[in-house]
Amino acid sequence: MSEVMIRVNKVSKAYERGNETLVVLDQLSLEMAAGRFYALMGPSGSGKTTLLNLVGGLDQPDSGGLFVAGENLAELSSSELAHWRSANVGFVFQGFNLIPVLSAIENVMLPLSLTPLSRAERKKHAELALELVGLKDRMHHRPKQLSGGQEQRVAIARAIATDPKVILADEPTGDLDRASAQQVLELLSRLNAEYKKTILMVTHDPHAADYAQSIVHLDKGQLGRIEDKQPAARGA
Amino acid sequence: MPSFKLVWRNIMRRPLRSVLTVASLMIAIFLICGLRTLITTINAGVEHADSRRLAVMSATGLFVELPMNYQAKIDRIDGVEMTTKFQWFGGYFRSLKHFFAQFAIDPVSLLAMYPECQLPPEQKAAFIANRTSCIIGDGLLKDPEMNWKVGDTVPLIGALHPHPDDKAWEFQVAGIYHSSVPSFDNRTMFIHWDYYEETLKRGGVEPGVGVFSIRVKPGADVARVIADVKDTFQDSDQRVDCQTEAEFQRQFVTMFGNIPLFVGWIGTGVLIAILLATINTMLMSMREQSSDIGVLKSLGFTDGSMFGHMIAQSLFLAVLGGGAGILLSWATQNAIANGLGANFPGFEVKNETFVLAAVVAIAVGIVAGIVPAWRASRLRCVEALRGTE
Repeated sequence: MSEVMIRVNKVSKAYERGNETLVVLDQLSLEMAAGRFYALMGPSGSGKTTLLNLVGGLDQPDSGGLFVAGENLAELSSSELAHWRSANVGFVFQGFNLIPVLSAIENVMLPLSLTPLSRAERKKHAELALELVGLKDRMHHRPKQLSGGQEQRVAIARAIATDPKVILADEPTGDLDRASAQQVLELLSRLNAEYKKTILMVTHDPHAADYAQSIVHLDKGQLGRIEDKQPAARGA
Repeated sequence: MPSFKLVWRNIMRRPLRSVLTVASLMIAIFLICGLRTLITTINAGVEHADSRRLAVMSATGLFVELPMNYQAKIDRIDGVEMTTKFQWFGGYFRSLKHFFAQFAIDPVSLLAMYPECQLPPEQKAAFIANRTSCIIGDGLLKDPEMNWKVGDTVPLIGALHPHPDDKAWEFQVAGIYHSSVPSFDNRTMFIHWDYYEETLKRGGVEPGVGVFSIRVKPGADVARVIADVKDTFQDSDQRVDCQTEAEFQRQFVTMFGNIPLFVGWIGTGVLIAILLATINTMLMSMREQSSDIGVLKSLGFTDGSMFGHMIAQSLFLAVLGGGAGILLSWATQNAIANGLGANFPGFEVKNETFVLAAVVAIAVGIVAGIVPAWRASRLRCVEALRGTE
């Protein structure tokens, strides 16, 4: 296996729901190589999104170790985790989660405001990112002036603006029509193929999973099987 | 912290709510400026009072007249350097709407005892020389219907002291004085005592004196002079009260009650009300932005920066509202001063009051933002993104 980008070591996570303890991840161990495109599949409640949030440093495991992009996340404080996220991880959410009061380019510039870049440099980077997702001509539009597919592509532009090592996508095509979903998936594949981004994508959709190089199956908080495969033919 | 642009856009996310909040803050700060100025105006009279000047009035009350011959007796008291007298004239110009203070006075002793009543030497000389003349304060001229100039004749209806010929009193404006201290009202007319006395006597009325003002000699024991003045008239028909000018000023403006306390309660109420309203606005705003806060945190913004982001929104609203309130206070102070008239001479919003209002506005902004800012900083990213907050 090439360089490991994500190492999940005996991670457990449970939630309290009333008097009941719901174990979402149970002693899960997993390694993911740098530069690969992973799809994370499994039935509802299998712990996919929880794992994604833990890998992205949005949540902390109850036990176990998480090493992502060379950092032991368990050792980072809340503030250090925030800085780590800004430098290493880009998120793409199912509901796009663009800031509605900002234009497309302002949304993309947001994570760049945490970098030492000048305003002009931030703008240039954001324009490049929007160009990459094919939306430079929509950069001054507000989210509500964009279609769902366009919003998701802006979200991807925002996720890659700071050139993170890892892109975490939670059901990125869940709210999209077929054509828009295909555009988004092709974009993610391209980011993986051309820019060597490590991508971890949660999906229920086998067609979306076909774009990944590996499919990780989770079941009841534990690792099922891992399918290593070649990516599907683009534009098929 | 996210950019100022995001702060502004979030404020304008609900423009009507933001405008109403800013308007409420504006009115609150305007009220606080006005109420505070009432107190500073009262205190200004006390602060600027001359420590060598005393006021003598009837022990019964300010509206009971003293005999004129008391002045000679006061003059003889050890430690008294000079006296002058004031009598409320109580007239009005054209209608009761144009009410302002008028006093019959002795020009020479008044101008000697009150150097803060400033007017050019030639106008002073003209006033002293012409028994039917008057001087008026420059504050009166702000009323467009009383915009008199030197040489004009001012007719006054003698409501308290009708003219014996059953006509209006007429006074020629000899000068326009400027008051250099707030305690000396700049909206008053002063007329000659001699003309006033002679005219009343012609109608068979013996004039009295409302207040004698005393200036004690330098180094004289003020307390002893006060005691001597009271003792002098202890067995007279009209006993007198004698007090320092500062005490007299304080009593005059508070004769309707403890105004500073009353005003303080109103001000505190206004402050609490606007604070609660702003907190409510900010809490609603924070709830609307909770998903955005989750996104911003996922992008790498820290809990502290989210705290600052919410505080900045609250502060910005407060600065807008506070600034507007301060501007409104500044712009309307003359109109308010005219409205209050002789009840609160010298009403003027001080720079210190503007600074206090600005501090209050900023404090409201910070305090109102603390709870939503704290919630935003504590908001768990995962829950915010799930929409469970």
